[in-house]
Amino acid sequence: MHLPQRTVSASPRMKCAILFFTICCLLSTIRILREAPNPAHITPDDVSKKSDQRFAVVKSRLPANGVIGYIGEGGNSSTPDYYLTQYALAPLVLDRSPHHAIVIGNFLLSRPSDLPPNLRLVEDFGSGVLLFAGEDTK
Amino acid sequence: MNIVLALGLAFLSGYLVVSAEWQGEKANKSERWMKLFISAGFGIGIFSIAFFVERWLGIVHILATDLCLIALLLAVYLTTRARRKSESVPASKFADVKLPNWLHRLLMASFGISILAALYATVLRALAHPHGDGWDAFAIWNLRARFLFLGGSHWRDGLSTLIPWSHPDYPPLIPGAIAHVWSYIGHDDPIVPAIISLVFTFATLGLLVSSLAVLRGITSAALAGIALASTPFFIEQGASQYADIPLSFFFLAAIALLHLFQQRSAQVPDGSPTGLFVLAGAALGFAAWTKNEGLLFLFAFLVSQIAAVPSRRRPPTNEPGLNAGRKLVILLMATTPFLLLSLGFKHFIAPSGDLFSGPEAMLHKILTPGRYWAILRWYGKDFLRFGNWVVPTTVLFVALSFLSPSSGIRRPNPAFRSSVLTLALTLCGYFAVYVITPNDLYWHLRFSLNRLFLQLWPTVIFLFFLSLSRQTSTESQSESNSGPNTYKPVKNFVSPT
Repeated sequence: MHLPQRTVSASPRMKCAILFFTICCLLSTIRILREAPNPAHITPDDVSKKSDQRFAVVKSRLPANGVIGYIGEGGNSSTPDYYLTQYALAPLVLDRSPHHAIVIGNFLLSRPSDLPPNLRLVEDFGSGVLLFAGEDTK
Repeated sequence: MNIVLALGLAFLSGYLVVSAEWQGEKANKSERWMKLFISAGFGIGIFSIAFFVERWLGIVHILATDLCLIALLLAVYLTTRARRKSESVPASKFADVKLPNWLHRLLMASFGISILAALYATVLRALAHPHGDGWDAFAIWNLRARFLFLGGSHWRDGLSTLIPWSHPDYPPLIPGAIAHVWSYIGHDDPIVPAIISLVFTFATLGLLVSSLAVLRGITSAALAGIALASTPFFIEQGASQYADIPLSFFFLAAIALLHLFQQRSAQVPDGSPTGLFVLAGAALGFAAWTKNEGLLFLFAFLVSQIAAVPSRRRPPTNEPGLNAGRKLVILLMATTPFLLLSLGFKHFIAPSGDLFSGPEAMLHKILTPGRYWAILRWYGKDFLRFGNWVVPTTVLFVALSFLSPSSGIRRPNPAFRSSVLTLALTLCGYFAVYVITPNDLYWHLRFSLNRLFLQLWPTVIFLFFLSLSRQTSTESQSESNSGPNTYKPVKNFVSPT
């Protein structure tokens, strides 16, 4: 058996306060709705899925686990690009260094003009995905 | 189908644990909801730990091991149920605020609108960002889950320090739970982290509303629900697949269970409902298994309980229940398995964290007063803006506090005092981490302080409305006692402490 909850009447001041509080909160609810994506025009941000697809072929040519090297473009996108590649190639660990026996190149926007001298291109998988062999491995 | 099976087993494991420890067969509707919301979060936590231990021990028969675990939990549940006495659930001794019909309807409509808006916006955000909204989702949590799921015996490679900024020392509650569900469906479907993120978001909201409905009443519960559901940053993070919302869930669960324990201890005539305190300890343990801040919160909670020991060796005669020393022992027993697991993870598996630099560098930072001032200023700024509100709810809380004056006679109850102390210590801990951080201070504050505040936000809302209804009761009592239509029963509602 549950005994009923007891109540006390709110004072007029408390009623005004509750009303004011609720209205202010609902203003933020309007902001939540305005900032929500438009259901009619939702385009899923599938950058990660596309990255998985880009690296799917080269992944089948790589060892199942271990550490390989990684080189990519510079600039603001270099860190996000690295994480997307790392996510796509997990459970391999990508070390941001060219000094490995196997090195993945990620050059979506432009082909590299000056590659590290120790790297030899093994295969170009298209979409900026390159596989290198490192000649002075760690 | 397999995803339903996995999530169903996770929920069942949580429900069996919660029900085994939670006395009160004849709980009211709000309490049943509270149980269900806690079960959802605990279930995901249990599922995470189970998978992690299976991976650690090299167990490959996941389903068989899970079924053994469920059978064990079922046996524990049936044993405790057989011993349990049927008892009624007493009403809260605090009065809920009674509103006129028009205001009550308006409040309920606003509550419904804010919850539906939150649900709508979170689901749309999850659809728009199926891999999480922000880098941490796939650079830390989902990446770690991939290593656990795809890595086989090499799952520890996911904790490599060669992966920069992936915080390999972070505990694996979220990755473990995601990988466990993936193992049921056989592939790493991005819908799983999205679902787990949504479950924690709405379990937090549901737990806040249901726990206040149990402890105070529907008015306080609805106001708290509106406050949280209308926090834009909570909704944004709810779909982000970060670990801050799950952490806020376990913080809130620990504090809400502590208050329910306190209330039941004072009301159950034949002993204390120690199970609720055990569950509060478990919530702390899950928090420590979610993120490093959870470990800080656990220690803050322990310190606040230790602080209660010298002054309260024996409970007052009008407040039956456990003494503070025994409570502390129960809490330690409940949290020890989680602590051992967390420390085992940190000592034997994960590399050391990246927040501590050399002693000389740390000492230099500690002795730089400018850092303290900078952090204080950011604390002040984010107090007003972390929720991304139109009108800051933190300011509204301050205004509401002034509008409902405290009686000035009663001291807050021990659970409230220790909860406030826990939050204060946690905030001090966050502050100390910023003082010694090896990263650029402003960068670190800019990208993390709002999320740290959000971790505590549901608990702050809970405590605020607990304290507000106490004040309102007292205010109304004094008004009604002085007026012509005196509301006599109010006298009995006020806490003796």
